[in-house]
Amino acid sequence: MADGVRGKVYGRRRFLKQLGQGTAAAAALAYPHPRSPHAATAKNPQVRYAMVIDTRRCVGCHACSVACKAEFDVPLGFYRSWVEYVEKGTFPDVRRSFLPRLCNQCSNPPCVDVCPTGATWQREEDGIVEIDPDICIGCKYCILACPYDARFANPVTGTAEKCDFCLHRVRNGLEPACVETCIGRARIFGDLNDPNSEVGRLLATTAVTVLRQEMGTKPNVYYIAADHTGEGDARAGQYVRVTTHRRQKDRR
Amino acid sequence: MSNRREFLKLSTASAIALFGREAVADADPKRGLLKGGKDYSPATGTERQAIPTACWQCVTRCPAIAYVEDGRLVSIGGQPDSIRTEGFICAKGQAGVNQVYDPDRVLYPVRRTGKRGEGKWERISWDQALSEIAGRLKKLRDAGHPEKFMFHYGRMKASSSKLIKSVFLATYGTKTIGNHTSICEAAKWVAQELTWGKHYDNWDLDKTRYILNFGSNCLEAHTNHTPIAQRLVRAMADRGVRLVTFDVRLSNTAARSDTWVPVKPGTDGAAVLAMCQVIMHEDLYRGEGEAFLKFCKVTRNRNATTQEKIKALKDHLQSFTPEWAQTVSGVDARKIREIAREFATVKPAVVISYRGAVANYGGVETERAIQMLAAITGNIDNPGGRCRAVGAKWKYPKGPKKKPQAKKLNILDGFKGRSALPTHHVSHQVFKMIKDGSAGRPDVYMWYCYQPVYSNGDCQENIEVLKDEGLIPFTVAVTTSYDESAELADMILPDTTYLERWDWEDSVSPNQIPEYYLRQPVVRPRGEVRDFGDVCCELAERMGMPLGIKSKEQFVKRSCGMTPGVKEAGGLDYLKTHGVWHDPDAKPKYFGYKKELKPEALKKDTVIFDAATGVYWDWTKSKAKTLTEAKAAGYAAAKKAYKGYIGQRIDAKVYAGFKPDKINKSGLFELYSDLLESKGFSALPAYLFPPDQEGTQDDRLILTTFKVNVQTHSRTQNCKWLSEIYYENPGWINPATAEKLKIKDGDAIRLTSEIGALETRAHVTPAVAPGVVAISFHCGHWRYGRYASGNPVPTPVRGDDRGITKWWQGNGAHPNWIIPNWPDPIGGQQRWMDTPVRLEKI
Repeated sequence: MADGVRGKVYGRRRFLKQLGQGTAAAAALAYPHPRSPHAATAKNPQVRYAMVIDTRRCVGCHACSVACKAEFDVPLGFYRSWVEYVEKGTFPDVRRSFLPRLCNQCSNPPCVDVCPTGATWQREEDGIVEIDPDICIGCKYCILACPYDARFANPVTGTAEKCDFCLHRVRNGLEPACVETCIGRARIFGDLNDPNSEVGRLLATTAVTVLRQEMGTKPNVYYIAADHTGEGDARAGQYVRVTTHRRQKDRR
Repeated sequence: MSNRREFLKLSTASAIALFGREAVADADPKRGLLKGGKDYSPATGTERQAIPTACWQCVTRCPAIAYVEDGRLVSIGGQPDSIRTEGFICAKGQAGVNQVYDPDRVLYPVRRTGKRGEGKWERISWDQALSEIAGRLKKLRDAGHPEKFMFHYGRMKASSSKLIKSVFLATYGTKTIGNHTSICEAAKWVAQELTWGKHYDNWDLDKTRYILNFGSNCLEAHTNHTPIAQRLVRAMADRGVRLVTFDVRLSNTAARSDTWVPVKPGTDGAAVLAMCQVIMHEDLYRGEGEAFLKFCKVTRNRNATTQEKIKALKDHLQSFTPEWAQTVSGVDARKIREIAREFATVKPAVVISYRGAVANYGGVETERAIQMLAAITGNIDNPGGRCRAVGAKWKYPKGPKKKPQAKKLNILDGFKGRSALPTHHVSHQVFKMIKDGSAGRPDVYMWYCYQPVYSNGDCQENIEVLKDEGLIPFTVAVTTSYDESAELADMILPDTTYLERWDWEDSVSPNQIPEYYLRQPVVRPRGEVRDFGDVCCELAERMGMPLGIKSKEQFVKRSCGMTPGVKEAGGLDYLKTHGVWHDPDAKPKYFGYKKELKPEALKKDTVIFDAATGVYWDWTKSKAKTLTEAKAAGYAAAKKAYKGYIGQRIDAKVYAGFKPDKINKSGLFELYSDLLESKGFSALPAYLFPPDQEGTQDDRLILTTFKVNVQTHSRTQNCKWLSEIYYENPGWINPATAEKLKIKDGDAIRLTSEIGALETRAHVTPAVAPGVVAISFHCGHWRYGRYASGNPVPTPVRGDDRGITKWWQGNGAHPNWIIPNWPDPIGGQQRWMDTPVRLEKI
């Protein structure tokens, strides 16, 4: 992979601007379209960034939610990352557990498949699903397609937005903002393809689950000891309360 | 960590040298990712300016790094080099950005033009504001009544406290200085001063093997929150340490505990005493606990043998059986026994506590019992136990050498005889005292980083007193925001947010090694706001009593140059770059009380031995005028004798012991308090029944309060990122209680106490004990800007450059309207956890 491609987040944007100015087919060669045949390796990238969330260490503190909010100046009413509470049981045997949420960076991302412009694509270098706001036309297909409710239309820009594992930080050698701030060290981030990475070691040694496995999306966000109970799972007379801490009080 | 950081800095630097910023290749993931200390703009990819500073959202005051882009503060991260926080910062800390850009901040000095509280203001210059204030203050001082200037602070720590209180107010000569400790955890501190002298207990979670928690929600809110919370998770997740939590409500801390033990409000003390009973009567004190008794005072006779002490404890605890505790607290006697045995046999173990256990009628006795539990199991000041706090010891300029004998109005400690030992004041009753008037009234009442109207109980009375010009002629609010109290000021001085000012900081270290750190401005102060420290320097000049200090910055700089360690490291310049400093050779402090004093320490002529207490003390540090007077009074009775404490004789040796603070206690760990006994309380820790709850009728519930993880008590609701997550606070009710009252989840309810009624919504959940209604603080603001209350402010504002985009409706209910301003009978603690109320569906 040429540095020219791997090294620039904004390569594609510049490419499109250059196209707009009617310049250089040569530039097109230097910055291949993400949906070109070159991108086929996205399913098997050399580096596969993933997150493991050890809910035994999560204290539901929302530091991740607010860190993310600040990092991207996310408008009120929307989150790229958030924390849900699941409370259930009968007094005094009551339990509350915490479920941090974010884009699952699926290996089979339904959002990419439905995007009509190629604004959403999966990076072949590391598997991160990215959105180019310069190409996004705000059609919201991807928002509907995402089984995790991880996307939203940014009211300021009108384009789709979601977590990108803090690509701008990761490529500069920094952990994602939510990982850096996680008080309980519940969020662990790294390269799944590296057996010596912490996420690699955890996946090799610990039982994990993913959200909505039945969808076949192959998420790259894994959970340890997560309580996947939803309010719909409560049998008659059982108490289950899910709090999303978002404007959207229901979850999907 | 620093090695890894340095390495990454170097590799980034060389990459930039080779390719220039634009051409930097992605980091090699195999090298691992850097944990903080830097940030990049997601929009442009350029590195953000990183400025080390310190948080101030809560009293934990975490070292932090502010990230600035084009002069605008965009985010706040943890300080990776901090030994306290290890690079983490909580949601509140990150939302500090919102404090700076709150669209409803007070940015200019204003003076009221209408009636007090009417909300009519005119903008004035700083010169006008300060000449009026200096004029009034100088007049009082010249007339010999500096005490008629009352200064009341909510949050004031470290260099701010030293410059404003120890230098400015001391030079001025008033001691009519109120604080807010009584609405926080005063009962805990009074109990600790009675037992081990100083106040503040650090929990050595990195080394403990068992954690027993009474009423602390430290995973959500604590005076050392982020340092403690992360260590608690680490202990449990990495080392399998067991956590047992007694709480009225399933807080997130209780939720993460191995065992949640629901307990009736204010009755934790019964369970603690019963555990002590089990441990003594089953001889589980043997070993570390028995050895520690050597340093304890357990009977009137300080020279009692260990066997006599054991017998005295057994006798005293005889009737506090688990079965008795079950009738009081509702906790199963078998469970109490089981936990007591576990706690006594796993070593080391730590017992932790906070407001859930102490902010009630019997709070001081509960904390004393907790100290006893730690003592008889040998878990005091030991690795893995309950330790005496360690913080940075800064040196600082003291201002003018000659200071007047300060005077004060006796309105700080509540009504005479109501609280036996209010060593941290009864500040929530200051307005009652002013209304009463028998101890005098201030002419000028100025408050700083404080919300007297909103933060104390009985909001209605607070408003009435503060509004009454006949009671208080002149009021000044020093604040960042137009809040419920500022509304009742005659003048508002706009303060800087903590992100626009200088401070040195000193908060408690969770690892027993002091950390020194800096707060520096990360952006230019908005509008015309000024740090009140700077304002004090100018006020002093205007009154003709110069402090010899020009600004807070200069004060901080000089302190850095005076403080050993920080000075050698490079002083202020070092901290401006690195943010934090600790002595790399420092060892964690444990067992300080066991240190034997060298004979030289006792050689000074003025050091005398007091046979009654076994204390060596320097009588000249007390208020005694002559040696004869000092000897005649004795250490226990001489005024302020504790200030001269040197050491404690036990058998033939003299130890550093447990150094007293604020009261004349011996250097022993005093389970037996002569002082409390002299005030009519039990000498050994006992149980205090709240008189107003005896024979509580069936239809009365107990109102209890709590805090959540994304808000502080009163100073964060203007932060949009926080209020968006937590903006309403329904009353938590157990399903059994709700069923009895025919209340369903979501129903509108009314709570009525003896002073008023409050309407909110029912949150029916099994996560709270029956017979209780639990309501958080934080909500129900009626001022404090649009994000907090929905109400715009009448003071001149500078339009929010990003617009108000608030989507939520309603702002919850404030429980303080119906909680009386009442003190506990020993420490003067405000009773937040045990207000009897009637509950009905509306």
